[in-house]
Order: sequence, then C-alpha cells, then structure tokens
Amino acid sequence: MSSSASEGPGRAARFKSWVEERLGWDDLAHLAQKKEVPIHPWTIFYYLGGMALFLFTVQVATGILLLLYYRPSSAEAFESVQYMMADVPFGWLIRSIHSWGANLFVGVVFLHMISVFFLKAYRPPREATWITGAVLLFLAMGFGFSGYLLPWNTLAYFATKVGTDVPAQIPGIGHLLSRILRGGSDVTGATLSRFYGIHVAILPAITTVFLGIHLYLVQRHGMSVPPSVERKGKPKTMRFLPDFLLRDMVGWLVAVALLAALAAFLPWELGVKADPFVPAPAGIRPEWYFLWMFQALKYLPAKVAGIPGETLGVFAIGGLAAVLAIVPFLDRKRSRIWNVAAVLVLIGAAILTVLSLLPQKGTP
Amino acid sequence: MNARLLAAAGLLLATTAGAGPAATPSAAKPTPAAAIGCVDCHLALDDARITPPAKAFADDIHAKSGFTCVFCHGGDAGATDQEVAHDRKKGFIGKPLPRDIPGLCGKCHSDAATMKHFNPSLRVDQLSEYKTSGHGKHLAQGDTRVAQCASCHGAHGIQPVKDSRSPVSPRKVAETCNKCHGDAALMAGYKLPADVYAKWKKSVHYQVRVEKGDLSAPTCNSCHGNHGAAPPEVGSVANVCGTCHAVFAEKFRVSPHWEPFKEMNLPGCVTCHENHEIVRPTEAFLAEGDQGKCSSCHEASSAGGKAAAAMRVDLVALAGEIRAAREKLDRAAEAGMEVSRARFELSKADDALTTARTEVHRFQAATVHTTASAGFAVARSARKDADRALAERDFRRKGLFVSLGLILLAIAALLLKIRSVPGGR
Repeated sequence: MSSSASEGPGRAARFKSWVEERLGWDDLAHLAQKKEVPIHPWTIFYYLGGMALFLFTVQVATGILLLLYYRPSSAEAFESVQYMMADVPFGWLIRSIHSWGANLFVGVVFLHMISVFFLKAYRPPREATWITGAVLLFLAMGFGFSGYLLPWNTLAYFATKVGTDVPAQIPGIGHLLSRILRGGSDVTGATLSRFYGIHVAILPAITTVFLGIHLYLVQRHGMSVPPSVERKGKPKTMRFLPDFLLRDMVGWLVAVALLAALAAFLPWELGVKADPFVPAPAGIRPEWYFLWMFQALKYLPAKVAGIPGETLGVFAIGGLAAVLAIVPFLDRKRSRIWNVAAVLVLIGAAILTVLSLLPQKGTP
Repeated sequence: MNARLLAAAGLLLATTAGAGPAATPSAAKPTPAAAIGCVDCHLALDDARITPPAKAFADDIHAKSGFTCVFCHGGDAGATDQEVAHDRKKGFIGKPLPRDIPGLCGKCHSDAATMKHFNPSLRVDQLSEYKTSGHGKHLAQGDTRVAQCASCHGAHGIQPVKDSRSPVSPRKVAETCNKCHGDAALMAGYKLPADVYAKWKKSVHYQVRVEKGDLSAPTCNSCHGNHGAAPPEVGSVANVCGTCHAVFAEKFRVSPHWEPFKEMNLPGCVTCHENHEIVRPTEAFLAEGDQGKCSSCHEASSAGGKAAAAMRVDLVALAGEIRAAREKLDRAAEAGMEVSRARFELSKADDALTTARTEVHRFQAATVHTTASAGFAVARSARKDADRALAERDFRRKGLFVSLGLILLAIAALLLKIRSVPGGR
C-alpha cells in the first residue's frame, strides 16, 4: 500500500511527460495563460463571442442526440419527432433545448456581429476575422432555415415553399438553384432528405472550417480595443485563464438556466403534420430572423423600372450581405456614415419584423 | 304587377307551338331588327309599366340564348307601328294570365327536343311535377294567388338557378318561399302556418346551411320538393328525412316504434324532432321534463320510460367522460405537452358517442349500452393519458426548479471564485 502510494506521483509525472511529448499540451496551456482581455466600458461585449460558441456547442450536442431518433423521410419525420417528444425519456428536453437554443444562438450571433461592427473591431489586421464571422452568421441562418423543415409540420412545409421560391427570382440560374435546393420542382420528401443532409453534414463541415479559422484569428490577433478606448492609452487587462473564462461560465450557466426554463414552460410546439394537398394556412411565417426579408419582398411592387420587384429585392438582400462581408475594406477611414447606415438598416429591419408580426388581413 | 310579370314569363317560354311564337332560336334565327324592335319602343316610351321589363330582359338567360320578346309575347317585332306590332292576328298575346303561365313555360321546358338545344341536362318534367304540387292543384282550380313559374323564377330577368342573383338560387330559395309562406293573411286562407321560415331559422339545419355555409343542409325544397312542392305525407316523413339521415331512418325502421307509429298515424321523425324548428338533439330528449320526448308517451315506471332513462344515463356518462378527458388534454396541450395521439384516440370516443346516439333510434337500451361502454373505456383511457401528461408537466417543472437551484449554486460558486482571483492588471 505504502509502496503504491510512493509510486503514484511518479507514474502521474511519467504519464504527463508521455502526453506532453506527443501532444505538446504545455505549449497550448502556455498560449492560453498568455491570452489577456482588455478591460474597458465595452468589455461586456467580448462575452458575446464566447456565448455564441457555447450555444453552438449546445446545438451540436443536442443535435447529435436528436439524430439517434430522427428519421429523415416525409413519411416518418413528423412521427419520429412526435415519438421523441412523447415517449423518449427527456426527448422533449433535448428537442426543446435544440429549438430554443437555435433561436438564442442566431440572436447572440447577430448581437456579436452588431457589437463588433460598432466597436470597429474589423480594423486591420482583423479583416479576415470579420469575414469569417460574417460567413458564420450566414451559416447560422442556413442552419436555421434547413432545420426548420426537419419536423415536417405544416408551418415549416409552407414556409420552406416560400423560402425556396426566393432563389428562383435570380435571372438565369434562379430556377435551377431552386430545383437544386428542393430536389425537384416542389417541396417534397426529396427536399426533406436534402435539407437533412445540409443541416447535419454539409453546414457542420463548412462551419467547422470557418469556425476553426475564426477562433485561430481571434487567438492570433487578440481582442480588439475600440478606437475611443485606444485613444486614451493602453487599457488594463485581465487574464483569459481563469478570470475571463470564469465570468464567461457565469453567462453560460445563465443561458443553460434560460434554455431549461423555456423547455419546461414553453416546450417547442410540433404543430400538425405537413400535408402538401391542403391549402396553405393563414399566417405562414419563416423564423423571426428572416421576417424582415419576407416582409420587404411583400412590399415590393410587381415591377420596378421593368425589373420584377422580387428579383430586385433578392439582389438588394444579396448586395446587403455582400457589403456586410466586405465592410472592413469599404470602411477604411472609419467614417461615421457607416454607423448611421447600420443604424438605419437595423431600424428598418426591426420595423419590417414588427410589421410582419402584426395581424394580416384575412388572418385570424 | 306580379300577374303581368307572370304573364310575360309564361310567354317568354312559349316557343314551339300556339298562336304567336312558333319556333325556337335554333330553328328561326331572329334578325337583329326583330330583336331590337320591341325593346327600342318599350325603352323609348319610358313607362314605369313596360320599360323595366324591357331593361331587365337584356340580362335574362333566355335573351342570352337568343330568345326575343316575340317568342313569348308573339306579335311583329319588325313593325314600327304599335298596332301592327301588337296585332293579335300576328300571334300577339300581350300579358299572359297567371293560369296560363305554367303551360307557356312548359311549351319549351317540357319538350326534351327543344331543351336539348340549350341545356340538355335540364329536367323536362317541371310542368308535370308542378301539376302534382299544392300550388299546381290550386291553380288548376282557378286560384291565381298561388305560386307558378314566374312567382319564384321572376319574369324578365330570369337567371339560372346556380346564379346567385336568381331568387331560387340555393342561398335565396328560403327567402323566396317565405315571401308568400310568411304572409299571415295569405296563409290564413289556406289554413297554413306563416311562421315556418322563422322556425326554420332556429333549426340546426339553418345553422349548418346559413351560419356555417354548408349548402348540403336542407332548405325548403330539400324536403318539400321544388316544382312538385307539397308537405311530405305522414307515412313518408321518415323516408324524406332518411334521404340525408339514412342510418337513423334505417334504425328507426327496425325499432319497436315503427309499427305503432304507423298505426297511430304519427309522422315518424317529426314526432320527436319537430318539422321546421329542428334543434340539435340532446340527452334531455330522453329525460322527464319540458324537453323530454319519450316522457310525453311513456310513464317513467313503464318499460319504455326505464329504457329511455337507461339510454340517457349511458349517453350522459360517455359525454361527460369525453368532456373531462378533452378538458384535461387541452390543459396538457396548453402546457406544451405532446398529447396528439391521446387526442386522436379520444376522437374514437366521439365516434362511439355519435354511434350510441344513432342507436337510440333503435330504442333498445342494451345496444346503446354496449356502444357507449366501448366509448367510455376509450375516453377513460384518454383521460388517464391526460393525467399522465399533466403529472409529467409537474415533474418537469419541479425538475426545472431543482436544476435552477443547482445552477444558482454553481453561479454563486463561480462568483466567489472570481472574487478570490486577482483583478485586472
């Protein structure tokens, strides 16, 4: 007994040395210990990145659990989700957390993007960090769009019909794009299989690449200090490990508590199984983060200067996304005009979202 | 005014034989001048008596099919002189008398050879049906107050029955019948009630037809017929109701009531359900009291009274169990619980209740009991599912509070740890 106790630390040290020799763990630990986070009035916005990463992890974990029971066919998808909600122990919890978490994740990514924009964190040399972040935002929206259809309920079915019609407005290749998305001319079981593949394989693979680059760049360049703080001199800092991470974890625990409360009190509704042969019910809406686009396309006239209104709308939205992605190269002089433009776009999007939520004519 | 319109409508359809009009448009193509001649004068005269019919005729189904005034009224449409145009030697008959109108309309509408040129699917037995109707019989006796073709279809602006502007279109036919059958003074002469429309408006048929817009629910002509309109005879009431309520009629036919009802000359279904004011039946029909139907013939202590009470107990118990299960399932669903399968199962109990209510018409308590018991078991099972769902909801909420407590403890521990480590540098 005494001999084994005396040999214990020796074995542990040998094991650590064995691991270190193969993985270079100490280098990583050293890197993390060196990482510092600036302290200033806007430090709170640094937590949004970590929160987005945490919620993404929750989505991956709950998504993997859902995969164990989900069946991606029009005949079984709805029933498999129904089975999870009613019969699988804690299936309701996993599915509700996944659904609520998706919305929270997209919301946090939006807030992260907005805060980075207004704190001008995309200044050189962080252009690539911004671009990968913008791509991750689009990927998050892609996850939301593809995941929305998977329970195969009426609302999702008709919203996907509307959503997959949008690319068809692009001249020339639009109809081909729409057909590729749908796996045919209409939303069918083939679309469900395709969206499933996109949701659980294609988007995760692309996201892994961009997330890896994004995190590497954040680590390489460190936290950006806003220009207003920078002008006053070098701010105080705190260590990432453990100071910032401990505070991050408080936020994550609050997020877990919120998700659990939402799952227990407002379990995500399953709705009614999709039936392609019934007319579209009133009040069909996409997820909240697509509402402003949905509403904007509704307001566009049939033709604008001879161009179909919806085509123009699709190009406008595409243009806005492109401008967002390359904003570091457009805002070289850190002009205030970009802030004004961003505020106007955000107010416009908020108004359109509220308008789309108001009761429409002919809906109950 | 009415008689004039009736006369015009009768003439309108007189096309194949008789004094004036002798051919249909398919056989004798009217010239534009002939078509326009009558209308030109009648419009130009601007006479309240003769101008409106000329205006209305422009939109008439017959005008659209190529018929002109002379096809019904006779005369010479090409003449510019009134005397020549209205020359009785040229077949002018002027305003037809009400008693002549069915015959005038029937000249075309009873002739399959003529009608196939315009609407081959239209029945051609309206006139013979009309002669069997109460209206037709009274008219044949010289009573011109009764309805004939133009009373219901109009005279110069006649539209197809499917056209919503027609007074006999499915949504308007009851109001059209009520123009006469709601006239108390007119109905008094025939010893008929004038409140049938008001009663029908209180019926379940009205609710379904008008309020829910389901035109398969009956209106006047569904039970009385249209051209052969007459009240169903006492012996045929069950047949008439049975055209829609076939299952009920069949069960009633094999019930112990069938023969006694016939012997007592009771009007079948109407005996318990009324004729026009047919309200949604309830279990109270089987009870004592104002709404009780069985108790009006059966003493409570009699075999019939006991059977009615037994059937009522079964139906009330099943309806109550379904209501309780549904209320609990609704509560569980509002709390976000997945209970759609239990709801589907409960719909089978609804079916059982409907079937049990149908079985009442066989008047055999044992049959009702068997059906209701099966439904009761299903509803009880759904209620247990709802109870389980509500218990699960409570478990989740309790679990949440425990989890929140643990999370709060973890947050507190983290905050303590944060306070213990050095701040910024």
